[in-house]
Amino acid sequence: MMRKLNAFLVGCVLMASAFQHPAQSQSLLDGIEVAPLVITPVSATFKDTRIINAQSNETPGKNVLHFVIAHRFGQINEGAYALWGLDNASMRMAFDYGVTDRLAVGVARSTFQKTYEANIKWRALRQNSDNSMPVSVTLYSVAMANGLIWPDPTRENYFTSRLSYVNQAVIAKKWGSQLSLALIPSFIHRNLVESLSDAHDQWTLGAGGRYKVTSRASINAEYHYALAGLPTDHVNSLSLGMDIETGGHVFQLHVTNSQGMFERAFLTETGGRWRDGALYFGFNLSRVFDL
Amino acid sequence: MTREGHVRFFSTTPIEDIEAENHQTTALLQADGAFAFRVPVLGFRFEKALMEEHFNENYLESHTYPNGSFEGTIDDFTDALKDGEFHDVLAKGVLTIHGVEQQREIPSTVQWNGTGWDVESVFTVAPADHNINIPRVVRNKIAPTIEVTVQANLIAR
Repeated sequence: MMRKLNAFLVGCVLMASAFQHPAQSQSLLDGIEVAPLVITPVSATFKDTRIINAQSNETPGKNVLHFVIAHRFGQINEGAYALWGLDNASMRMAFDYGVTDRLAVGVARSTFQKTYEANIKWRALRQNSDNSMPVSVTLYSVAMANGLIWPDPTRENYFTSRLSYVNQAVIAKKWGSQLSLALIPSFIHRNLVESLSDAHDQWTLGAGGRYKVTSRASINAEYHYALAGLPTDHVNSLSLGMDIETGGHVFQLHVTNSQGMFERAFLTETGGRWRDGALYFGFNLSRVFDL
Repeated sequence: MTREGHVRFFSTTPIEDIEAENHQTTALLQADGAFAFRVPVLGFRFEKALMEEHFNENYLESHTYPNGSFEGTIDDFTDALKDGEFHDVLAKGVLTIHGVEQQREIPSTVQWNGTGWDVESVFTVAPADHNINIPRVVRNKIAPTIEVTVQANLIAR
């Protein structure tokens, strides 16, 4: 008897909940709210593979060739005679290729010190949509070869003396759809330095970010602080800019106190001071090709 | 119901074909003909990484509108349809994409497979109907109407 009553009560409860359910919910979907979340890597932390001068955490996708043409014009404080610097352009051409969705290799040539570059970039970690991985970490290594004729040809000059290296980590995080920030520690090594008192090894810590103002445009900023090994009169690199995206192109327009567009140059050889107006207007224009 | 429903869309123009697949659709169909489909926008996979990025960032704005859905009823949905044959039905309801609701009547087929319903449907969606703005420079790469194919094998709960 007791068992029958129990079964009856359980039956009532079940029926009640079954009838109650459709009446409670506005949408059938409310009943299946438990559907598993899609966990995906966060995409488009930055619009391009660079924030302004420095690397972002992004790499070209698999089998994508990313071609960048970048200019830095002369110093804005040259005035009207040089059309505020536009008469003098320094250029960098770069090809980056996505071997996989996480690994890219690239080559580049800058007119600045006639420098050749070979680089490799690897997305070690990717931020996840559910924040089970809270940040993206991308590692970047570049070898640079100075192509200038030797200042003193009578001395014995080695090819290795032309080389310098930068190893970098980009630790990036995207908040919502608009704000992304990155911390960029860099280690710079030169095989040959100008004088005995100069350090071969240097360290900088950079920070960069972007804020999207529309779905296709963002305001970007970037700063690199000298930590160790840099001369006391060193100027830290500070850049402000904006990204404009149009389909397969990204235009990055900016003002920076660094003229060089490869890592060693803007991290350790920045010369212009913002307060003197010794700034360079410039742009990076990228185009992707699916191979 | 299912949580592995399949949604595919296909845009074709003389310049470029764009195709994406999603296997994470949750679908529910009740005995009275009431149904609901929910598609997580981030679950669409494209051939090219940049297409997927632009789809989420610029067009569907998946951060603000994470899901697309279609909810409504199938009229005259009875157990008599459980004969193992294909039946053409009309699914009437509200299609929500990019946060914009559209009243739609979508012809579909249903077939009872012994344990649940197999549902299939092919229909078109115009991005303009859902406030998805396509800039002039890429207008020749994205079709004005996009073909959507839905396929779900619903398992009785």
